[in-house]
Amino acid sequence: MDELFGPGDQVRTSRVDPPHHTRLPRYARGAPGTVIECEGRHPLPDLRARRLRAEPEPVYAVRFAARDLFGEGDHTVTLDLWQSYLQPAAAREPR
Amino acid sequence: MGRINDVGGMQGFGRLVREADEPAFHADWEAHVFALNRALIGRGVYNLDEFRDAIERIPPREYLASSYYELWFRAITTLLAEKGVLTEEEMAGG
Repeated sequence: MDELFGPGDQVRTSRVDPPHHTRLPRYARGAPGTVIECEGRHPLPDLRARRLRAEPEPVYAVRFAARDLFGEGDHTVTLDLWQSYLQPAAAREPR
Repeated sequence: MGRINDVGGMQGFGRLVREADEPAFHADWEAHVFALNRALIGRGVYNLDEFRDAIERIPPREYLASSYYELWFRAITTLLAEKGVLTEEEMAGG
């Protein structure tokens, strides 16, 4: 899977609430963030937890404003997120 | 489907208690559970994501009432039963 994002890119996380294991926490669903860097490639845990075929895909450090996650706070929160969890921020209808 | 493990940002659980000079394990059985999990993943009986999934599938009432390594033990026994490595009867019999 190609790297779709680079440092500084604005992204939005998936809103999907999957019926299985995932590494995108609920508090960070549907949130706008900024890519810090790509941290390598790893198989998607959502697939691996179900023993489904999972090719390594880019994982990014993504920074969020606490205000966008919790409605308040001046700090930032940085999460390691698989590319499958992210869309370009410009996408109008995040899923 | 938000699972009971996914409580990041949720409040009302009370203050975190930090134990001074906290040991890695509070009882021998905890170290055994830790080693057992490493061995089973190392042998390919299940992978780390299946293990995390099994912890997250523990019913909420039991999840919230269990200690860290109690959750591990419950997940390990769930996976061993599901994969046919051990039957519930064999585990109950020690």
